Amino acid sequence: MAFFDRFRKKEKDAPKAAPAKKEAKKESKPMASSKGAECVMKTPESVAAAQLKMADLGALLPGAPPNGKINLAIYWAAACGGCDVSLLDVNERILTIGDMANIVMWPIAADGKEHDIAEMADGSITVSIISGAVRNTENEHMVKLLRKKSVIVVSYGACACHGGSPALANLIPGGKDELLEYVYTKTPTSADFQAEYNSSGAVIPQSEYEAPEGLLTLPMLYDTVKTLDQVIDVDYYVPGCPPMQESISHLLKAVADFAYNGVALPPKGATVGVVSKTLCDQCPRRKEYRRITKIVEPHQIDVDPDLCLMDQGILCLGPATVGGCNARCTRIGQPCRGCYGPTPAVQEQGASALTAIASLFPVLDDDATIEEDAIADIMSTIKDPLGYFYAFTMGKSLLKRHVVEKGGK
Amino acid sequence: MSDFEPKIVAFCCNWCSYAGADGAGVARLQMPPNFRIIRTMCTARVDPEFILRSMAKGADGVIVLGCHPADCHYIGGNYRARRRIALIRMVLEQYGFDPKRLRLEWVSASEGEKFQKTLTDFVNTIKELGPTPIKEEK
Repeated sequence: MAFFDRFRKKEKDAPKAAPAKKEAKKESKPMASSKGAECVMKTPESVAAAQLKMADLGALLPGAPPNGKINLAIYWAAACGGCDVSLLDVNERILTIGDMANIVMWPIAADGKEHDIAEMADGSITVSIISGAVRNTENEHMVKLLRKKSVIVVSYGACACHGGSPALANLIPGGKDELLEYVYTKTPTSADFQAEYNSSGAVIPQSEYEAPEGLLTLPMLYDTVKTLDQVIDVDYYVPGCPPMQESISHLLKAVADFAYNGVALPPKGATVGVVSKTLCDQCPRRKEYRRITKIVEPHQIDVDPDLCLMDQGILCLGPATVGGCNARCTRIGQPCRGCYGPTPAVQEQGASALTAIASLFPVLDDDATIEEDAIADIMSTIKDPLGYFYAFTMGKSLLKRHVVEKGGK
Repeated sequence: MSDFEPKIVAFCCNWCSYAGADGAGVARLQMPPNFRIIRTMCTARVDPEFILRSMAKGADGVIVLGCHPADCHYIGGNYRARRRIALIRMVLEQYGFDPKRLRLEWVSASEGEKFQKTLTDFVNTIKELGPTPIKEEK
């Protein structure tokens, strides 16, 4: 066992190394390694270089494009509306977007209706920006209609790209029926309402209602919430909850360059407004590679403003999330929840985060002799791993939804 | 249910369990043919994504086999793996799977017999559980 003790001691002592020693390491490392940027330790300069800059849009958009104004449609499916508001983050250029484009549809702000779009010729909308997941018949009808009428479809925001929060409803075992029943009869406010006004029996929305004046219909809810690209063909992705202004500026630049100068668009399927590495590269916090044994929430401890949140025992999805937001949350002491989704190299953001976080737990002195149940106890300090690691990517995950064991004989 | 033949993915580490499986074969030990072995360099190489992908593609069970604790060729790979597996088991349970569909066992290079016993036992467990719920969803 002496050999293992030596190994462990080294691991335990490492975090306590004096800061001065750390500095020396930082300086010597880049010189020692000639392999490239991957091996270099994080420095203030490398963090600054890793930030996603605003795209250079030059002057304000100069009047109408040479070939006339383009048509722009903005639609929300199952979304909260935050993405629509975030589009205003293009600063003063919002004033001149009207010179570049006719907004033919934007339910939150403009007047275009479904029949207006249906009457347009196929391919007459240059860009459709669609936010939100697809979770009912209306969402599906509208996104399919917009796909038919548009040249470019942009999947905008975490819900459209990865399912987002709406896709967590996929984990309800009973599907849409359980969901509707809970929301309309079990929550305290709705339970009171139902008891007071519908004493003969709870009223739950139906997709069809035979009124004296004729048949009334409502969109039908699906059991599984889908991402946009599971329903229609998507050209570009802009992730984020909501996408940050740097990301939006890159999207606007791509569209404006195309409309005014005929510059080629990015390759189909590209994610616009992200960097190629993880959020950790953009986060200024110092990493000490500490081992953790207990998971805490930021409000339970005094958060060290300079130290990596994972080192402090706060679950942070930064190592599994693609950079693009310039680490806004971790800078102010809130852990990353992963809204920008996985890096291009992985499909499962949750699995990637799970790997990183499970490896933070230290090897115990009696690890060679304890049972798997004891390990399960240690790991149960992470409450609700599925909900935490897949907070934004359930719709895009491999398993996608809750399953029900039938039980064999 | 008697005609149900489960499909099982077995991840074996290169240094112990794969050799153990080899030993079981050389010794001509009888065991059910329901599992497909995938050799990895270490149990720690088994990314949770591998396990979730196996389940998503319709595997009835996944078993991860590695060196006994303190025997890992890479000193601590199996310690990492067992923490991950504990966490993935929690995740699978939240998805609605029976956590018994994922198992972690230690089989050394000389334990051909244990390999046979473990796999036979696991196949029987999965036969009791029935087919994966994923197939019925579609």
